[in-house]
Amino acid sequence: MGYIVIAIIVVILFSLGSALIGMVKGGKEGSEKMFKSLRIRIGLSVFLFALLMFSGFMGWIEPNTTMLPTQ
Amino acid sequence: MSNQDYYVPHGTYWPIIGSIGVSTLFVGFANQMHGVEWGGSVMGLGMAIIVFMLFGWLGTVVNESVNGMYNKQVDKSFRWGMSWFIFSEVMFFAAFFGALFYARILSVPWLGGADNNMFSGATEALETSKYIWEGFQATWPLINTPGAVGQSGVEFSSGFKLVDTWGLPALNTGLLLTSGVTLTYAHHALRKGHRNALVFWMLATIALGAAFLGFQIAEYGHAYHDGLKLTSGIYGSTFYLLTGFHGFHVTIGVIMLTVILYRIQKGHFDSDNHFAFEGVAWYWHFVDVVWLGLFVFVYWI
Repeated sequence: MGYIVIAIIVVILFSLGSALIGMVKGGKEGSEKMFKSLRIRIGLSVFLFALLMFSGFMGWIEPNTTMLPTQ
Repeated sequence: MSNQDYYVPHGTYWPIIGSIGVSTLFVGFANQMHGVEWGGSVMGLGMAIIVFMLFGWLGTVVNESVNGMYNKQVDKSFRWGMSWFIFSEVMFFAAFFGALFYARILSVPWLGGADNNMFSGATEALETSKYIWEGFQATWPLINTPGAVGQSGVEFSSGFKLVDTWGLPALNTGLLLTSGVTLTYAHHALRKGHRNALVFWMLATIALGAAFLGFQIAEYGHAYHDGLKLTSGIYGSTFYLLTGFHGFHVTIGVIMLTVILYRIQKGHFDSDNHFAFEGVAWYWHFVDVVWLGLFVFVYWI
């Protein structure tokens, strides 16, 4: 599960970087590239959030909220 | 201007005002650290000068841009300027995420005797206790700095319950991601020239960002009350550094979005020409991704 999450994050970072390239390029073409990449990045982020919440709900992953042992 | 290849800026007094502002701020700050009475007010004065400089300088740039004084080459230099700023931001957060990964995956397990390293002096697990800290257990989140009590004479709190992932952190992630969606709608509306929709989605984005900040302050209140402090081991330190600097960036982002909304009201942008919006939009998406990373790595994995 952890690897799937990390893989999605890598794709999100990639689309964010692609948007940056579009922004630096500028003009009609760059603007188009930027907007499309940002749309992919927000879509994937919402999907990842939903996936995390659902996996936590189903008990596939455990959040870091355990009581800690005292030293 | 338009047929020149290189833009030569005119003479301006704003840089020296900025320098005076920054110097005043740091003189005030240094004296404040030494407990000098006037330190705080001089800091405030320095901050006020910096804000004055920002309004004046950036206002001048906006006016020049709106009056058509900039050519393609200036537009390109703005784009490159923004990307270098972003590069420094990425490196900044990479350093803090790097600290979190290093502590969690390498140094804490080493102290606990993992791997055949110089701390353990043997392949046997938990040999560390013999050489450095007696009975140190590599756990995560680590909220007690081993040996710190002896060094600083300060008792650290321990054994608190972390903030529930299902509560405020999840809510805040939802809020911030929703703000990313509304901003994307605003971007779309701007590109299509739908002015009213653009203003509506911008207002929604700003409101969601402000709500995030409010809940983040509430979460700090809970965490602090439960005993999680900046001094609570490597977990406390990295937690507050990462989330604190992220919150600072959200604050800046909300201010920038507000300025962009003001410029939209003034009619500064059209569907083909809106670099300022693109720069701020990218920044907001970046801050959103940083939070997603925080949410995943601090709270979940």
